[in-house]
Amino acid sequence: MAKVEAIDYGDRQVYTVSAFNRGVSSWLQRLPTVWVEGEICELRRQERWQSVFFTLKDAGDGSILAGLMPRGQFDALRLDLRDGERVHVYGRPELFEPRGELRLRALSIERFGLGEHLAALERLKQKLAAEGLFAPERKRPLPRIPRRIGLVTGNDAAAKRDVIAAVQARFPPARILVAETFVQGPRAASAVVDALRAICAEPEIDVVVLARGGGSFEDLLPFSDERVVRAVVACPVPVVSAVGHEQDTPLCDLAADVRASTPTAAARLLVPDLSELVAALDRARAGLGRGAQRLLDRHGERLDTQRARLGRASALLVERRRAGLERSAAKLRALSPLATLERGYAIVRHEGAVVRAASSVSAGDEIDVRVAEGSFSAQVGE
Amino acid sequence: MTFEEAEKELQQIVERLESGNVPLDDAVALWERGEELYKLCRGQLDAAQGKVEELAKRVENARPQSV
Repeated sequence: MAKVEAIDYGDRQVYTVSAFNRGVSSWLQRLPTVWVEGEICELRRQERWQSVFFTLKDAGDGSILAGLMPRGQFDALRLDLRDGERVHVYGRPELFEPRGELRLRALSIERFGLGEHLAALERLKQKLAAEGLFAPERKRPLPRIPRRIGLVTGNDAAAKRDVIAAVQARFPPARILVAETFVQGPRAASAVVDALRAICAEPEIDVVVLARGGGSFEDLLPFSDERVVRAVVACPVPVVSAVGHEQDTPLCDLAADVRASTPTAAARLLVPDLSELVAALDRARAGLGRGAQRLLDRHGERLDTQRARLGRASALLVERRRAGLERSAAKLRALSPLATLERGYAIVRHEGAVVRAASSVSAGDEIDVRVAEGSFSAQVGE
Repeated sequence: MTFEEAEKELQQIVERLESGNVPLDDAVALWERGEELYKLCRGQLDAAQGKVEELAKRVENARPQSV
């Protein structure tokens, strides 16, 4: 260790800036190598630089620490780091003497936290998608009126209360079975899986809703856990995922048969609107009465029409016959000799035969004479 | 018979009656059946009691302790 020389001004020892920095630097070098967690920001890398520079930021209070790593080592890690990614840096503190700046000299960098989770999540998502667990054809239709609804939720009152309230507001006769479980923390995933299994084993459960209020990315991580995703897929009844808010997409959302972004949306999926249902029933009944009435009316009308036609037909028939009769009578009258007789003519018959020539009778013959009104006998004279 | 089945049949009956292509005897029988189905559906709705139960026992071990 280099000796740091002071300048003596009487009884005052004074160091130059350079000496001071050198002294602090050599003292810092005695500190141990440690892991430091932070978010990467301001990553600066250039081919002509020997080192890669970055700033580590505390996710909690925003404290910052400058860091650097030899470029060759950094490149060899192939981290492809982006700003904001959480990392663990293994390194030791050092002072950049020319500027008196403290910085962390990194020996290694590992991705951790959100970035690591995101990457792992993405890999899991790809894997499960490749298995077809999120395929649209796997989605099952929800029952229109479930006998019982299974609600798997945390004991965070809000999500549970909101879903129950929304379901009951829409469909008061709803029957809900609630399974409370951990929804956060290291035990959450297996607890949710257990709760799902337990609730599905209950009788008359026709649909399950998985509900959890909003939270940070890490809070919602259990709902992206492979075990939970597989349990949702394996659920024997359709599953509604009501986890987090609109912008969150935990993997269980993809595995569920349908996702709901709010408790109200979940309720709309889970149960029908009772008032609408009753109104529809009443409409159906009214239609029933109307339909039956209309049919009766129609049949009655048809009957009336038939009857009227029947009446008309018989009257027509009589009329037609009467007319025929009249025509016959007229014809008969026209052909009858009576009309001729009425004009004063007479029909003369001798021994039954009509006399058409005077020569056909002789004096003294008996003849019959038919006039318009009656007949009489006569004797032919000279 | 489930509510859905009854309701569906009721709808079909209404449609048939409204179509008008039904003999009179059938119409009366259908109407009676429809009324029966309506009562069944309404009865089920009216009789249903909303209920919220807790599945406590079996997930006891999966339940959070009080925080």
